[in-house]
Amino acid sequence: MRSAWAALIALALWQANGSAQAVDPATAFADDVHAAAGLTCTACHKAQGPGSYAAPARTAIAPLCATCHSDAGYMRRFDPQVRVDQFLQYQTSTHGRRMAAGETRVATCSDCHEAHGITRVRDARSPVAPLNVTMTCARCHGNPSIMKPLGRSAAPPTDWAASVHAAALLQRGDTSAPTCAACHGSHGATPPGVTSVANVCAQCHLRQAELFRASPKKDIFDAIGQPECLVCHNNHRIESPADHWVGVQEGAVCAQCHDASGDSAQAIGTIRQALDGLAASVAAADVSLARAERAGMLVDAGRLALRAAREQQVQARVLVHAFAAEPFNAAAAEGAASARRALDAGEAAFRELQVRRAGLGVATLLIIAFLITLWIKIRRLPDLPSS
Amino acid sequence: MHSHNTPSGRRSVLNWLLGLWGGGVCGAVLYPVARYLAPPEIPEAATQSVMAGSAESLAPNSARAVAFGSRPAIVIRTAAGDLRAFSATCTHLDCTVQYRPDLQRLWCACHNGQYDLNGRNVAGPPPRPLEAFDVNVKDDQIALSRRSG
Amino acid sequence: MRGVRAWLDERLAFSDVIDALRHKTVPHHRYSVWYYFGGMTLFLFGIQVGTGALLLLYYRPSAAEAYESVQFIVTRVPFGWLVRSIHAWSANLMVACAVAHLFSVLFLHAYRRPRELTWFSGVLLLLLTLAFGFTGYLLPWNEVSFFATRVGTDIAAAVPLMGRGIVRFMRGGDEVTGATLTRLFGFHVAVLPAIASGLVALHLLLVQRHGMSVPPSIERQAVHDPAAVRAMPFIPHFLLRDLFAWTIVLAVLAALSTFYPWELGTKADPFAPAPAGIRPEWYFLWAFESLKHVPPTIAGINGELIAVAVMGAGALAALLLPLLAGHTARARLAVVWVGAVALLFMALMTGLALSAAAP
Repeated sequence: MRSAWAALIALALWQANGSAQAVDPATAFADDVHAAAGLTCTACHKAQGPGSYAAPARTAIAPLCATCHSDAGYMRRFDPQVRVDQFLQYQTSTHGRRMAAGETRVATCSDCHEAHGITRVRDARSPVAPLNVTMTCARCHGNPSIMKPLGRSAAPPTDWAASVHAAALLQRGDTSAPTCAACHGSHGATPPGVTSVANVCAQCHLRQAELFRASPKKDIFDAIGQPECLVCHNNHRIESPADHWVGVQEGAVCAQCHDASGDSAQAIGTIRQALDGLAASVAAADVSLARAERAGMLVDAGRLALRAAREQQVQARVLVHAFAAEPFNAAAAEGAASARRALDAGEAAFRELQVRRAGLGVATLLIIAFLITLWIKIRRLPDLPSS
Repeated sequence: MHSHNTPSGRRSVLNWLLGLWGGGVCGAVLYPVARYLAPPEIPEAATQSVMAGSAESLAPNSARAVAFGSRPAIVIRTAAGDLRAFSATCTHLDCTVQYRPDLQRLWCACHNGQYDLNGRNVAGPPPRPLEAFDVNVKDDQIALSRRSG
Repeated sequence: MRGVRAWLDERLAFSDVIDALRHKTVPHHRYSVWYYFGGMTLFLFGIQVGTGALLLLYYRPSAAEAYESVQFIVTRVPFGWLVRSIHAWSANLMVACAVAHLFSVLFLHAYRRPRELTWFSGVLLLLLTLAFGFTGYLLPWNEVSFFATRVGTDIAAAVPLMGRGIVRFMRGGDEVTGATLTRLFGFHVAVLPAIASGLVALHLLLVQRHGMSVPPSIERQAVHDPAAVRAMPFIPHFLLRDLFAWTIVLAVLAALSTFYPWELGTKADPFAPAPAGIRPEWYFLWAFESLKHVPPTIAGINGELIAVAVMGAGALAALLLPLLAGHTARARLAVVWVGAVALLFMALMTGLALSAAAP
């Protein structure tokens, strides 16, 4: 599935290699929010002759848009709550700074928002709507022939497409999942610095961030100048974390810095053991409950306990970010207890089944004894008369 | 008395045995019926409503988690003193929400989602409000029930 | 004890009934083992009434609560699982017993004069039993029963002119909804039991009146061989054997309920698409399967309509059998053949349907 999205991004890049505007400007403008607001071609273009307009120079586009979009008094007429700091932000961005220095190969307003069929960001057709924005960024940032001359990698969009965030956004339609703009900013687009990237992640992953900051790791990472979340989780290709990341053996994430000889190796090992044990208990409880359900027993209380165990497992995994024995051990122990309750419910259901069968056995024995006695009585009845 | 070897003696033993086993079979039938007729501990299925503990012991600006059927629910007494109840399943990715007295909001630990005291999703990823339940108090017992329609 | 009996007898006047029963005999011959099937059907009916009444104490007939109430019975009520499974298994056994009873009466020609009314009431009772099964099947409101009811009531739409009306009558509307549940519940616990009680009373009265029928072949045999038919006293010989059969049925029910408890399924969702392989209970499978093999049109008329018409005609012929069948040995042989073919057809169709669903 992820490769499918990478393919889609590649398709977007292929399309972008052609001309940006395949549609006639006048036709596209019919759908434009500016047209709806009563503006015409001359609002942005100088007329060259009847029906013919000059395109503004690339370096002049952003200041042109800003003449209205930075004027709070003017914009208020159309939308009282609209922001007017887009140009200010743009000027702080990498795109803005390089454009101001004369580099015209970077993005300006019309590259992302289109020039003539401009729709609101919340309109699903907009190239910067949450579901579309990554493909818009990928037009340049995923295209090696554009990125290489600028000295940048074209990998991030494809990396992002393989992440859990992309899966959440594009497969589940979860628009709260981070897109390029969510972490890099839209108008002020700049890669978050090493020291601030964690603040970006902390917007949603607050608990993990708080735990990390309270842990011994924060000072260490500050001292060695490493970005907090990225070292273990990557920045674009963020995949589902797994229990086996914890450990000091080959392939584990902790092994990037820790080895089996240090003090922390034991702590890491304990945490890993607890995680593995918890996963095993949850799996065992699920098997037990499924077995009872297949045999016709109903185990609602057990399923509730298993649900609690799974939530506590998630909690314990989050608490790994405290990088200490407590409070991780407490959460893992709670999870193990819930899983144990679920397993017990499954086993109890199975035992109940045995009790029922035993009860049936007793009843059947009574019935058989009754039938035998009855049979004897029937046989002892006087014979029937012959006619 | 009568010898058990006479025909009538054998018949009476037989009848006695028949009565014994027959009584046993009847007992094996009547025992489950009798147990069935006695109302169980929880008298009815918790589909439409569920009890949520004592009202008095729920202090202002605090909450209590209960199970509503097979899904978690949460009862809150606001700082102002009134009772609210919601489904505690976050509408984002199904984690269980909790009450944060410092924020006076329902908070989901998974991705920092927040709901106000009307159940509306006001911050973070959750896309929809929490389902609200009706709260009634009788004899200091809180009862939650699903809203119809 | 004697005093109590005398007191009751003075007011109820049952002593002559007891005397009559004491002297009553039942013919005993090669085929008299088939006599027990009627009693077994009655026993199972009694079990249905008993377990049904018990279920009524906890069941809730609304779309919002039916499934949960059955779940409650099966998980929280002591021995609720047993009562519910017995009710479900006994329903199936009752249909099987009733069919066995009908075919044994057919093959032994017990429908002949003067037992025509007994036959009519019996066929109606069989149809009622099937109606009990159909209405009861929906009550747990799970996915399988919801869709089976929808498919089953759809077939009624094939009836010309009245089809739409029949479907609306059965469903309480155009679709299967909570209204259908309430309506079928009303049929299942009130309307059908009332009619059934009346018919059962009539049926038993007639059986008492006419006694057990002896098959014509045995009657012929008895002419030169008196030992072919012997008189078995009702009390205690027949009754004790009846009790024996009923106890075995009880043991079978208990074992089935313990080893093959009736499943709860998943709650019905009217908006979900029908799962693959929806089919009615086994006693309707032969009709269901036959309809699948009927060509879309036969001589320009809707094939399904023709099939339903044929089945209807078959049912009518079965009901009116005593009036249609002749009295000669050849006529009786024809009845045996027709019955055998019908039985074989239904068994074949049922087998076909089951094997199609097996993978």
